Amino acid sequence: MSNISTGEKLIALIDDIELISKEILENTIAMKHQKMAGGEQVQLTELLVNKDNELKASLERAREQARVELKMDALKNEVERQDCHIRNLQRQLKEAEQILATAIYQARQKLASIAKANKRPVPSEDLIKFAHRISSSHAVCAPLTWQQGDPRRPYPTDIEMRQGLLGRLSNLPMAPQPGLADLHSLPPGAEPTVSTQNQFSWHPSGDLHMNVPGQGSVAMETRNHKTEEDVEVMSTDSSSSSSSDSQ
Amino acid sequence: MQDISDQHESTPSTWTVDDVDVEFLPLIYEIIRSLEKDPHDTTQKTRDSQDTTQKILELQRKLEKAREQIRKLPGIEYNSEEQLKQLDVLRNQLRLKRELLHKYRNMCTFEIPKA
Repeated sequence: MSNISTGEKLIALIDDIELISKEILENTIAMKHQKMAGGEQVQLTELLVNKDNELKASLERAREQARVELKMDALKNEVERQDCHIRNLQRQLKEAEQILATAIYQARQKLASIAKANKRPVPSEDLIKFAHRISSSHAVCAPLTWQQGDPRRPYPTDIEMRQGLLGRLSNLPMAPQPGLADLHSLPPGAEPTVSTQNQFSWHPSGDLHMNVPGQGSVAMETRNHKTEEDVEVMSTDSSSSSSSDSQ
Repeated sequence: MQDISDQHESTPSTWTVDDVDVEFLPLIYEIIRSLEKDPHDTTQKTRDSQDTTQKILELQRKLEKAREQIRKLPGIEYNSEEQLKQLDVLRNQLRLKRELLHKYRNMCTFEIPKA
């Protein structure tokens, strides 16, 4: 009884009323001898009236429920609105999280770079010196006035490749190049001198050792006497080609 | 829920209890009275009989219509206790959601240094 909904109850009451009225009408039509006793008839009529009253009471309850339903609708709308707000907030938080995560990642990268830089500081003067040397020897691009036939060209030239570490490693005999003498005189800043065959040698430890024979590299040595050892290796005349190769 | 909203869409104005016609008793009474009348005139009898049949059909139509209308009434898919429970649940939900929003809006505001 308490579990059925008001709607179902109303329908059931109408069904009952239909049934009882049918019974009463049938009884009225029936022949005299088939008629039920007067008491029963009265009971049926009372039942019908009761059902009618019950139906009206239920309708009253339904009216009340309709009012509550309106309240519920309003509440539902409000809940929906709050849901919308929550979803928006969630989306914004998610975006913020993503932005912050990216920012943190980048900041960490920067911090790592800073730490790396702090570990092995390179004076800016040296950087500028190297940059000047690379550009003055046309290491990255041909001179502006370059024309066909001009032997000056960006690194690495064939000769320089042969001079470099790789050329040496492949044990190619260094045949004297016909145009080499001209080339030496051309770059104004750095003169790539032809170094001796065994200037570089591999040691089993994997370290690279260089024998500086003293000739040609003296001028560079005086310029870079303050820099660290690896910088010195790179800055020597003869190895400048190979270092720019590797970069 | 879905049915109710569908019905709301199909009928522009919401059905109320006042729209439901449940006045069956007068009709039943009339039918009984016309049945119990026992005129001697045959033509009168036939007319009365037709009249009664008409009234019985009317009663049936009325019952059917009342059923239709009741099905369209809003808010009666639960009984009143359940409905009140639902109302409570909704209120609670709304309160929780409001609290949640309030909490999130006011938590860890970044202190932006004033330049």
